[in-house]
Amino acid sequence: MNVRRAVIALAALAALAAAAASAAPPLEVAPLLGPAPAGFAAAEAPREFQFPDDHGPHPDFRQEWWYFTGNLEAADGERFGFEFTVFRFALAPPGARPPGDSAWRAREVYMAHLAVTDPARGRFMSSERLERAALDLAGARARPFAVWVDDWSVRAVEDVPSSWLLRAQADGYALELELDASGTPVLNGEHGLSVKSDTPPSASYYYSLPRLGVRGRVIRGGQAREVTGLAWFDREWGSGVLGRGQVGWDWFALQLQDGSALMYYALRDRDGTRDSHSAGTFVEPSGETRPLGAGEVEVEVRDHYVARSGTRYPSAWTVRVPHLGLELAVRPVLADQELTTRPRYWEGAVDATGSRAGAKLRGRGYVELVGYGAER
Amino acid sequence: MRLLEAATLRHLARHRAQLALALLGLTLGVGTIVAVNLATASAQAAFERSLRTVNGAATHQLSAAGGDLPESLYVALATHPPAAGGTPLRVSPVIEGYAQAGNRVLRLIGSDPFSALSGAAEAAAAAGPGAQAAGDWLTKGGTVLMDAASARALGLKVGQSLELRVAGHTVPAELAGFIGEDAPGAEALLVTDIAQAQEWLGMPGRISRIDARLPEGPGGAALEQALRAQLPASVQLVATRARARETFAMTDAFTTNLHAMSLLALLVGMFLIYGAVSFGVLQRRTTLAVLRALGARRGEILGLILKEAALLGVGGALLGVLAGIAIGHALVGLVARTINDLYFQVAVTEVTVPVATLVVAFAAGLATALLAALVPALEVAGAPPNLALSRAVLEARARRIARALVPLSVGLVLAAALAVLASSRSLLAGFLALFLLLIAVAALTPAFLEAVARLAARALGGGSTVLRLGLADVGRSLSRTGVACAALGMALAAMIGVALMVGSFRASLATWLERTLQADLYVSAPGPLEDAGRLFMPGRVRELTTLPGIAAHSEARRLRVDSPQGEIDLNALRLGPRGGATFTLAQGGAPAWAAFEHGAVLISEPLAWRLKRGMGGTLALVTPQGLTEFPVAGVYREYGNERGEILMALRTYREHWHDDAVSGLGIYLAPGHSAEAVAQELRAQAAPDPLYIRSNAQIRALSLSIFDRTFVITRVLYFLAAGVAALGLVSALLAWELSRARELALLRTLGITPAGTALMVLAQSLFMGLAAFVVAVPAGLVTAWVLTAVINRRAFGWHIDLEVQSAGFATALVLALLAALTAALYPAWRAARAPLTAALRTE
Repeated sequence: MNVRRAVIALAALAALAAAAASAAPPLEVAPLLGPAPAGFAAAEAPREFQFPDDHGPHPDFRQEWWYFTGNLEAADGERFGFEFTVFRFALAPPGARPPGDSAWRAREVYMAHLAVTDPARGRFMSSERLERAALDLAGARARPFAVWVDDWSVRAVEDVPSSWLLRAQADGYALELELDASGTPVLNGEHGLSVKSDTPPSASYYYSLPRLGVRGRVIRGGQAREVTGLAWFDREWGSGVLGRGQVGWDWFALQLQDGSALMYYALRDRDGTRDSHSAGTFVEPSGETRPLGAGEVEVEVRDHYVARSGTRYPSAWTVRVPHLGLELAVRPVLADQELTTRPRYWEGAVDATGSRAGAKLRGRGYVELVGYGAER
Repeated sequence: MRLLEAATLRHLARHRAQLALALLGLTLGVGTIVAVNLATASAQAAFERSLRTVNGAATHQLSAAGGDLPESLYVALATHPPAAGGTPLRVSPVIEGYAQAGNRVLRLIGSDPFSALSGAAEAAAAAGPGAQAAGDWLTKGGTVLMDAASARALGLKVGQSLELRVAGHTVPAELAGFIGEDAPGAEALLVTDIAQAQEWLGMPGRISRIDARLPEGPGGAALEQALRAQLPASVQLVATRARARETFAMTDAFTTNLHAMSLLALLVGMFLIYGAVSFGVLQRRTTLAVLRALGARRGEILGLILKEAALLGVGGALLGVLAGIAIGHALVGLVARTINDLYFQVAVTEVTVPVATLVVAFAAGLATALLAALVPALEVAGAPPNLALSRAVLEARARRIARALVPLSVGLVLAAALAVLASSRSLLAGFLALFLLLIAVAALTPAFLEAVARLAARALGGGSTVLRLGLADVGRSLSRTGVACAALGMALAAMIGVALMVGSFRASLATWLERTLQADLYVSAPGPLEDAGRLFMPGRVRELTTLPGIAAHSEARRLRVDSPQGEIDLNALRLGPRGGATFTLAQGGAPAWAAFEHGAVLISEPLAWRLKRGMGGTLALVTPQGLTEFPVAGVYREYGNERGEILMALRTYREHWHDDAVSGLGIYLAPGHSAEAVAQELRAQAAPDPLYIRSNAQIRALSLSIFDRTFVITRVLYFLAAGVAALGLVSALLAWELSRARELALLRTLGITPAGTALMVLAQSLFMGLAAFVVAVPAGLVTAWVLTAVINRRAFGWHIDLEVQSAGFATALVLALLAALTAALYPAWRAARAPLTAALRTE
């Protein structure tokens, strides 16, 4: 899913422009078509992943992100959802000479989105940060792991490289979460090479940590709540762009009760059909992974909802993976989980109920809906 | 009641001219009040808007005493903001300077679009055309945004290249977009990325200030406290609102003068209304008396007149508000120009209509109209019907009132004196005194007019009978002539007062300039305000001052420093060969200069007044070491800076601020060297950097021309007031002429030619003008004293030597006679051609 978030990053850059615009236009991907710009490395063949180094940045590639989503629960059962994402986007290739010598000169821009879903209060908070990769205002590194934009950060705890501390705050919500990143990364696509389109050829490197244990605090209006839960970590980098005719995607990341996990992204073409490059991964409770092709997953939209921005999003699905015998009904925990960032998109905590091979199964996760337009 | 109303209506229908005059009087009176306030309010609003554009969403600003801040402070705040209960702090770095494009000097703002809080940067961001531009913004050198008006003036289009002159270098730039037309206050503005600004202005690692946004409420207060605790001592955290208010205090002095003018407008306007409306009622006293005789009750008559006055008042006041808005539009430009000359660039793009002003003007108009109707109505309604029919009774009563007003006038003058004496600093008391004084003039005028008219008639006893009759008639028709003359006298008094004040002020300024500007040439680096590019470094100072032909020089470093009392202008000076002799000390003598050389400061009169400090006191300033106390060794006269300033020895400044740059040089020529030749050498030495070189004569002329432009608005306003008073005179004469048509006709039948009648009307009017002027002369002198010694002193702390110049009186005299003449033209013409028989038959 290199492209999906690259588009978000680019569009956000465009929109840093429209600072005053009250309603950002729906994601427009067409202007971004074209081959990866000269001077950047391209994801063309499978590669050898090295951890923890690959948690760090890959400056030879044009774009990259660190994506955390998770469902949290307090001792009394009160639930929260969170999304914390950091994008890196290079404006010029690595060797480019800056036009001046000011320390503020930057080749890369970092962007972060923070969202908290608070179903008990019926509230959804979203916020964003943009920052240049200069003067340590924003950046990422592998050892010890850290990625940050201003004071929003995920940093490895000293001496415990696989324990990461997420800290971010905005609009009355603050997160202080400790993430257990000791699990084995799941390589999506072809050994981590995720092909997104043929025209133009584009692919990215894509891995996930589908089940990060979370402990920590959600601070709401100054009142801290102790929480535990499960988070999903997506990592992707590349230099490509969306294929001609692709307008958006629906991304599902579900953590199921039996210890399994399902990731699937349905790329949507301009004519409304599903793109053949849609793909996913199923992770068995044992950790064994099964790549899923476009045709192996059925997504049926059961309902729609019109967000405050006027955009009409799907809001209930039935997801089936027939050859695994998996059928799940997926519903948002709160309908209104549209990020009022630039650009606007929907990314929200969901519940899943269904069965696998006849056995009842429940789960939680996140769904991302990008590229939907206003209802006419 | 039907009958009564019908009678009124018929009367009004038959006297349309009278109705029109009353309406015109009301309209102009209310209009003047509205216009003056509108102009002031619009200029203020424009100023506030431009401040908002500069400050944007920022609630606070962080700045340092030394002028700029290390960028590391911003980084520390952005990545490790002070923690206070989940309340976020937003900060944004800003670099400020100036750049020249073509012949225009633009404010250069280096902003960080990612954190921008300032309105200018937001406006800039809003103008960014897309991802490509966003990328260019960071990666391509020289990308700038410009305000649309400047770009238009320079003939630039988006995508076009341009050359900028920044900090003495010529640099290439490309216009990436406009800062929206709808961004008020975004005038003469150039925005670029903070990295680019840092490079252009040659300030690596430094930023000018940090904008901060703290949330409202207790969370914000806690955050502010946490933030303060985290800041180094040399860094100031100031609420932008406080800073704006402080900057705004600068215009207070200016608006003070404007308020004085609008007060005058209110007074003159009210007199005009009073005159116009009361004539309307008085003229009908016959009709009303007949109605009374026919059995109408007092209350009915009173109600009728008040109803009519209310209708007239509402209509006239409404028209006045409209007219005022129209005149206000014309005045706004003048006011804004004054502010631009004096303080900062303000483009008044829209006229602000303060509702309160409209309400006050409307209410004043209506109330005056009601009062103006009530007084004569009470009189007519209260008098026995047969007496009310007699004008002689009426005039006798007017004379009684006029005489009764004399002690009242004396009382008002005493009250004014008391108001001044009982308060030492209150500006309001000053205005009250001024108000009382002007009213006293108005109260005195009718009695004075009657007296001089009587005396003049007696003195002319042997001469022309017509003239004698005419003059005696002026004194006997006080009900007509008194109020009009009073309004004119008051306007003239105010005019003389203001003219004397302005003249004295100008003379004081000129004397001061003469004494202060002792060097032959003044040299500074170009740029409208202080910024890094405008300074001379020590090497350059040496180069410039060691050129042949230069006998001596003085050095000045001017900047604005922070203090617990807000920002203060600091003038750090290495004195020239004449030492302290170029200053006039109001406090402290020779010892002050000795102390000055050893670390003490001198403060200017306005500052001394504003901070209530004087010789022997101390003044705390924020230096890079934190708050430092400086002893105050003396107070000096200064008219260039109404906010006040501090004079400090350059050596003292350098010790505390560790800054050896210089903002300006004063060059003293060696004998036998011409200023032009030395200026040429200086320019050649500095090339390719430009120099601003001015001779002392040029600066004097420039300062005085700025001063003159400042008071253009004042002049316009008092001509307006005099014009309104003249109109009052017209309506008074017309009303008078109408009511004595029969007498005039009688005179005609007794052998006076039509020309003679016209001449008589003319002479009466001129006499009234003259009388008003004579009253206005002493009153004007006192007014001038109140304006200089009380109001200007209390508003600015300036000490102005009152100089009585004949020019102010001459203008007032010419204006008085001109007003009288103009006012008499139409009534005289009417009087001359009135058909005899008709006039005789009227009653």
